[in-house]
Amino acid sequence: MRLPLLVSAGVLLLALLPCPPCRALLIRGPVPGARQAPQLPQPLDFFQPLGRQVLPVQPVPLTTGEEYFFRQGNLNESPAAPLWSASSPLARRSSSHLSPHKAAANFFRALRQLRSLPQRPLNSPASPTERGAESALSGRQEALEKERRSKETTTSLDLTFHILREVLKMANAEKLAQQAESNRKLMEIVGK
Amino acid sequence: MSPSFKLRCRFILIFLVALRGESRYLELREAGDQDPFLLLSAHLKRELAGEPLYRRALRCLDMLSLRGQFTFTADRPQLHCAAFFISEPEEFITIYYDLVSIDCQGGDFLKVFDGWILKGEKFPSSQDHPLPTTERYIDFCESGLGRRSIRSSQNVAMIFFRVHEPGNGFTLTIRTVPNLFPCNVISQTPNGGFTLVVPHQYRNCSFSIIYPVMIKISDLTLGHLNGLQLKKPAAGCGGKGDFVELLGGSGLDPSKMMPLADLCYPFQGPAQMKIGCDNTVVRMVSSGKHINRVTFEYRQLEPYELENPNGNSIREFCLSGL
Repeated sequence: MRLPLLVSAGVLLLALLPCPPCRALLIRGPVPGARQAPQLPQPLDFFQPLGRQVLPVQPVPLTTGEEYFFRQGNLNESPAAPLWSASSPLARRSSSHLSPHKAAANFFRALRQLRSLPQRPLNSPASPTERGAESALSGRQEALEKERRSKETTTSLDLTFHILREVLKMANAEKLAQQAESNRKLMEIVGK
Repeated sequence: MSPSFKLRCRFILIFLVALRGESRYLELREAGDQDPFLLLSAHLKRELAGEPLYRRALRCLDMLSLRGQFTFTADRPQLHCAAFFISEPEEFITIYYDLVSIDCQGGDFLKVFDGWILKGEKFPSSQDHPLPTTERYIDFCESGLGRRSIRSSQNVAMIFFRVHEPGNGFTLTIRTVPNLFPCNVISQTPNGGFTLVVPHQYRNCSFSIIYPVMIKISDLTLGHLNGLQLKKPAAGCGGKGDFVELLGGSGLDPSKMMPLADLCYPFQGPAQMKIGCDNTVVRMVSSGKHINRVTFEYRQLEPYELENPNGNSIREFCLSGL
């Protein structure tokens, strides 16, 4: 008599408690800290010239497999473009082509793609308990990932060697001019 | 021991010490070569000491190769700005925050990077720099004025900055500090020469020329023991030992460039190569057991030389990558 009662109580408990095997399924994915294979959109996908939008949000760093570029939370924003002069058309383009909500939605969609969030198997529909646990775990995982990425963020500049050489040439000319000015002052002092 | 014998021993000792590879210290101390002002009188030096610091405004995209004080003030939101710093090969760069007025909470930032980074490619490469990549960025919004002065590890550095609010900005003072044994260098000019010395250091050093060049190596010394050249010098290459490699590529990172030639044995006498790549690097791999030295000259290739490759030319590799 007691045995069936105990068995049924145990089954009831198991049904109500969170399921460890389910948690293992949810954590299926890249191990934090491990090197991830870059299954990402090509960096060129981010260079769509759809205009840039200034979002009043904290910068959220993204890594694109090779820790390549720093994004400001907008997929359609071009990377740090070589804004050499204030008259550059890219510099003046500040009108937004996307609403903040759409841009943010794009950003989070890409964020999920980049982080390769764990997928639930198709043949196991999620129960409310599972979905709640899943969202809590994904939120925790997202926070961990965000913290890891913030440490791995690399800021870079897209500049061709041609432009780099041009600015280097100008810098050298400036240095020569400054040296000539110093020499002139020196000769003035020496000549006194 | 007779006094004349003692005197002779002392002369021999002085002679042997002078033959050691560390005579570079003496080169830098020659007044006439390094600082002509040392030849002037104290009065003149006092007058010149009052020379004002060079000042100008910093642009959103800028390159600085001289010392001075530079101020950036945003006249409108400037979201993608960077300034490159480059000094002489024998100098480190010191960046000093004089004044910083940015809104970190509002999305502004000001970061110093130890080296140059272009399209995600870093110089020096991760392999050749003492610090990991994350530590090469010094973010003002994280460190604040607690770290007010930052010194580079080589002759190049850069800053990235973003300022939303017009009127905000910052002022930096750029100074240089002598570097006795330059290791990682970017050349300021497409023509010139350099002697790369790595004395008993377990490190790899690169000299980068961001132009297609004809490079002529006139002297290579690998290994140096007690002032005498080793009869069987340290044989490098094959990933072992000490050697020099010539790299060519279209990016900044030497670790992502193509090795074009390996120089494994010491030699004297010019050996030249035409490299038609956007970036040419002379890289010395040193085990730390020896004093290694390579002397080379380089000049920019003319357009007709790029179009008509002949002789020892590695143009095809670089152009095929475009």
